[in-house]
This record gives sequence, C-alpha cells and structure tokens, in this order.
Amino acid sequence: MLEQIEGSVAVARAVALCRPEVICAYPISPQTHIVEGLGELVRSGALSPCEFINVESEFAAMSVAIGASAAGARSYTATASQGLLFMAEAVYNASGLGLPIVMTVANRAIGAPINIWNDHSDSMSQRDCGWLQLFAESNQEALDLHLQAFKLAEELSMPVMVCMDGFILTHAYERVSIPSQAEVDAFLPPYEPRQVLDPNEPVSIGAMVGPEAFMEVRYLAHKKQRMALERIPEIAAEFRARFGRDSGGLLHPYRMEDAETVVIALGSVLGTLKDTVDELRAAGVPIGVLGIASFRPFPLEALRAALSPAKRVVVLEKSFSVGLGGVVSTDVRLAVAGLALRGSTVVAGLGGRAITKDSLLCVLARALRDELPDLTFLDLDQGLVDRQLERERAVRRSGPIAENLLRDVGTVASKVH
Amino acid sequence: MTTNATECLLQLCDEQFQLEDYQSGVPRWCSGCGDNAILAAVQRLCRDEALRPEKTVFVSGIGCSSRFPHYMKTYGFHGIHGRALPVAEGVKMARPDLTVFVNTGDGDCCSIGAAHWIHAIRYNMNLTVFLHDNQIYGLTKKQASPTSPIGTKSNTTPRGSYLEALNPVSVTLGVQNVSFVAQAVDWIPEVLFDIVKAAYHHRGLSFVRIVQRCPEWLPKSFDPWLHDPNRVQILAHANGLHPSAALSRTYKNQLEHDPSNIHRARELAGDSVNIPVGILYRNPEVPCYEDLIRPDLLRTPELTRSVLDSEMDKYTIWP
Ligand SMILES: Cc1ncc(C[n+]2csc(CCOP(=O)(O)OP(=O)(O)O)c2C)c(N)n1
Ligand code: SF4
Ligand SMILES: [Mg+2]
Repeated sequence: MLEQIEGSVAVARAVALCRPEVICAYPISPQTHIVEGLGELVRSGALSPCEFINVESEFAAMSVAIGASAAGARSYTATASQGLLFMAEAVYNASGLGLPIVMTVANRAIGAPINIWNDHSDSMSQRDCGWLQLFAESNQEALDLHLQAFKLAEELSMPVMVCMDGFILTHAYERVSIPSQAEVDAFLPPYEPRQVLDPNEPVSIGAMVGPEAFMEVRYLAHKKQRMALERIPEIAAEFRARFGRDSGGLLHPYRMEDAETVVIALGSVLGTLKDTVDELRAAGVPIGVLGIASFRPFPLEALRAALSPAKRVVVLEKSFSVGLGGVVSTDVRLAVAGLALRGSTVVAGLGGRAITKDSLLCVLARALRDELPDLTFLDLDQGLVDRQLERERAVRRSGPIAENLLRDVGTVASKVH
Repeated sequence: MTTNATECLLQLCDEQFQLEDYQSGVPRWCSGCGDNAILAAVQRLCRDEALRPEKTVFVSGIGCSSRFPHYMKTYGFHGIHGRALPVAEGVKMARPDLTVFVNTGDGDCCSIGAAHWIHAIRYNMNLTVFLHDNQIYGLTKKQASPTSPIGTKSNTTPRGSYLEALNPVSVTLGVQNVSFVAQAVDWIPEVLFDIVKAAYHHRGLSFVRIVQRCPEWLPKSFDPWLHDPNRVQILAHANGLHPSAALSRTYKNQLEHDPSNIHRARELAGDSVNIPVGILYRNPEVPCYEDLIRPDLLRTPELTRSVLDSEMDKYTIWP
C-alpha cells in the first residue's frame, strides 16, 4: 500500500512488520520519531507480543537489547550521534557475542561543537565494531532495508545497523510502499535463535577468551561479514522477486555505462548526485554514480569490477578521518589498488551543510579537468579558518574555537536539540 | 595549573556588581518556562554575593535547562548529555578557587547521568547543583523522564507512563556523605532565591531540586500545587528558611523542620500530596573531597607571590 508518511514513521512501520519482541531506546534527535512511532504501535497493542522499554540511556538501550537477544528475542533499538558513541562499548559487545540485533542509526554529526544535523561521522566511528552497516538512499529503501536487515542478521548471527540520513530522510515525507504483514512474514521467517535458554544445556554467555582463541573469534566475525557479501545480493534479489523493487544489495550503479568518471557516495546525497550527473550526461560527459549500499561488509571486489573500466573516481563523503582525509575513500582506494585510476576525495555536508548541485557541478568540472586535488572540502570557508589560525598565532589565549567562528560568521549559538 | 597574574591583582580591589553584569543574551526558553525564574534567582544571587564573573563557572549537560550557562555572563561549560557533574568536578579540582554551579535536567541527571549523580553526592565537592526538574525531556520534545509522574502521557508513553516516578530528593538523601538537600518551586521567587542562597553558602555539594514548569509539553502538570497554595508546604526553621509575613499570608501550610534531622528529611521527601519546599537537610560536618585531597596545595602562596611579582615587573621603569 502506498502511503505519504514521514521517513521515521516508515521505519517504525517496517520494524513493526518484522515482529520484534523487545524494543528499547533512549530519545535523541533525529531518531526520536522512530521510537515514538514504535512506542505508539506497541502501546496500541498492534505489535503484541512486544516489550517496549524506555531506558535511561543509550548504553542501557544496547545492553537491554543484548540481554533480550541473548535470551532469544528479536531485538531492536535506534539511536544517533552522541547516543551511538555513548553505547559504543555495548555495540562491540553485541557483535562480539554474535547477537543479531538490528539498530537504526539516524545519521547525525558528533560534537563538540554541538550539532544536530546530518553527516555520517557517527556510524563511521563504529566502522570497525563488527556490525554490518547498510546505508539507505531513500525512505523506501530505509523501510526495505529493515526487513532485509533482520533476515541477514539472524541468518548470520551478526548485528546490523541500518543507517539513514538524519532529518533529510527521517523527517521527510515521501510516498512509500508499505508491504502487508503476510508478505513480510513470507519473507522473514520467525527468529530461530542460535543460543537459547535451555535447562538441559545451561550455558553462560560471555566467556573470557585468551590468546589461544581470541583471534579466531574475531576472524569468524570477519568471515561472516565476507559471507554476507554473498548473502546481501541474494537477499536483495529475493526481495525484488517478492516486493517488485530494487532495494539493498551491495552497490547502486547509476548511468555507469561507459562512465569514465565515477562518483561514489552513500545515502541520500545520491539523489542530488544523480540529478547532477544527468545534467552532465546531457552535456555529453561520460560520468556515472556508484552508491555504496553495504559499507560493512565492504564490497571490495564488486567495487573493483565496477570501477575498472573508469579513468577517474571521486568519492563524495559525509565523514572525515581527522588527520587523514576521507574514511570511505580509504576503503575505495584499497578496492582499486593497482588500477590506473585517478582518485580524489571530496568531504562534504559535515554538520548538515547543504550539498548543492551547483557546488557539485563545480567540483566535478575540476575533476573532469584533472584539477581536483586528492582532498577537497566542499564549500569550505577558507577565510574563516585562516582568521582563526591567525588569532591563534597572535594570542595564546585565543579562546574556544567554536565561539570564535560563530562570532566571525555573525551567528549566535543556535538552539540545539 | 596556571595562575593568571592579572587575576591576582584583581583580587585586591572590591567590586560592586549589577544584574547586567551577569546577563548574557536573550534566553531562548519558551515564555513561562520555569528556567527563566531559576535564571533570575541565580543572577540575583551572583549580584548580591558579588560573585566575580571570572571566578564563577556554570557547568551543564544537554537539555533546555542546560542552556543556562549561555545566559550567564560568567564562565560556562555546556557539555554532553549526562556529564555535567563530572565535568564540574574536573573544573573544581583544577581550580578549587572558583565558584562552581551545575545546571542539570531530570533526564540529564536522573537518567543518563544517574551514575555520576550518586558519586558526586558521595564525593561532596563544594559545588552547587540545580536540578531543573520539569519531569519531562523538554529539548527532545516531550518524552517521559524518570521523574515523570505515573500516568504521564508523552511521546514515548502515549498511554501514560506506568512506573512510579523517581524522587530525586529521596534518592539524594539516601546516598552516603549527602550534605545539603533542598527543594524549591519555580513559582515562588522569594523562596527560590532564599534556597539558592542557602545552597550557595553551604560548603559541600548542595543539591537543589527545583520543580520547574514546562508550559510547552506539560502545561497543566503543576496546576494542583499552583492553584492550591496549601499543597506547598514551607519548611521553616531557625537554621533553614525564614518565611516573610507576606509569604506566610499565601503559604499557610508551614512546618518547623530542623535541617539537621535526616530521618525527618527523608520522611518529608516522600510526601506525595504536598511539595515540601525548603531546606530538607544540611550537615556542614561532612568532609569535602577537596579537604581530603587538598588540590589547593598546588596553588601555594609562593606561587601567587611569584606571579604577582611578574605582573608588577611589567610596570617597572628601569632607570
Ligand atoms: C548521549 C545522548 N543521548 C541523547 C541525547 C538527546 N537528548 C538531548 S537533551 C535530552 C533530554 C533532556 O531532558 P532533561 O535533561 O530533562 O532536560 P530538559 O530539556 O527537560 O531541560 C536528550 C534525551 C543526547 N544529546 N545525547
Ligand atoms: S520546552 Fe519546556 S523546558 Fe524547554 S524551554 Fe520550553 S518550556 Fe522550558
Ligand atoms: Mg527535563
């Protein structure tokens, strides 16, 4: 059924269709509407039997999900930004224990400075935590990925993060197709836990593992992620067969035929990028877009195959490894090692800065002329940066950076959520 | 640790302060928000006590209430959600000479920061803590908090919260080393001010729970107490509040309560019908953490003298 609803509501409906048994969350913008939507569904009885627990923090949320999942329940939580960082220890714990929890991350910047807007720093900070990370391009895909995520998580006994752009997707009203309960039930079988509470075979979860087997346990997690590289496209194909649309998979290629230049990105910015590329294509430029839908596991081979005919690759990313440059680009670089490709990283949209088509056209024009440096920051106000550096050179007690810059741009600290 | 030479000089002169000396920016709280009343009381305290802005720090976490430091023309630290208390502890340890206030919400203190709350009470550093308790997560737009009364309808509890509310005053009174606990309501400014003042003057961790209205999300929550002054019980005592005659005409429900009596304080804190307002407990004998570890030893008189000397040297005219 097609409905015009908010992205968060679409996700809440998707999670509900997956028949979770325990949901626990702590509110944080821009995730709040998802858990509020689920709270409503649970209370109305539409989701019975399901427990909804309003916990006292994200750390508690993930820990409750761990306990519930270990006890054999299909468990779900959602968070963003500071919340994800606060739960980090438990995030690693969940993957180390092989618990198939699904979590939505409503991607948001990390402070300081406090910022509630979208970028990918939060989930990227958990890149190596062992969770699978799937990125949604649209609200429809966000909905669909949750159905796929539970399936994938439970097959592999690995937790899955579904990442969707905060506000841009979570708060946008779009038409989405909501599958029926029967369709979802046919796609996602009931959860068959690998670890159950069985009085005949009592186990204590959380063994201490020393050097004799620790590496093997970690390697198994890696192995399962590599197995996921095969299962993700299969599940996407099964999804297409059942629901009639493309969602998920490893990569989202767009106008890649004969593309000499390829722009790589994750999430909702792919929409703007496709428009931009359409314009360039219309002007005869052989350029395409490659969306990464599965960031963990990272599709090294698929990416290499998709990129090998190209001459240039531009990675547009909403994350940033301070002191190095791009985060996604580092992985892409590994995928194309040895290929004769010119590559550059464009860090864009940090803290919610708009990524406009005009700016993209500008930066891509430079890329096409092979004038784009290895690392560019889209629409960076260099003057602002220079002024602060100058200030720091001139006086030792130059004060807090954020406040200085806000004064320079003439804004007072804006209301935070 | 550094000592500012100019600061040492400043200590030598007495100053008079006006309210404007503490006012910064236009608060962005909703109109009618109880935080405005707390701000007014605290700015008045600063003026009356002539707290030097540069020797005063407001530390907060995240929440509507945690915007407080931005509206004080003093030092401020607006940190991360739930961590106001340990940040304040860090400030106090590095600079025991500063007056440190903490503004924290019921979510900030009683949910995500609850672990720090318990330990801060036990450390008993000389901090003045204001718990802005509006019984809701205000900033994130209306989700039940641990202090929401049972049955509170919110976005995460659409059919009403089903747990008994946590009572922050009772909890605080139950922790080892508790030394000062008071309760105020934002709508009686005179008493709010007296309590804020008593809290400031207590040496040790002063915990003040301020019942704070949030007209945006829980507009009617405190109506029963607002409309019936008899449901606000003023705790009076020679060592506590001294309610004025004018106040006593409206607030007739008064009780003599000796703040040194912790058992009675605990009983009073549990009152679910009335809101007891006043100083529930005060024990100046509980040692402060600072007294046990003496961070001020790092700021010896010799150090002060040496920086004063170096400051004076700047004005030396060599023959
Ligand atoms: C780690 C983390 N989790 C969640 C949030 C989102 N958040 C911001 S303020 C807040 C609750 C605020 O409630 P309270 O402390 O009562 O302050 P109030 O706004 O009511 O004054 C939440 C959940 C956050 N900023 N950081
Ligand atoms: S939402 Fe509530 S607590 Fe926040 S500023 Fe408005 S009235 Fe005050
Ligand atoms: Mg609150």
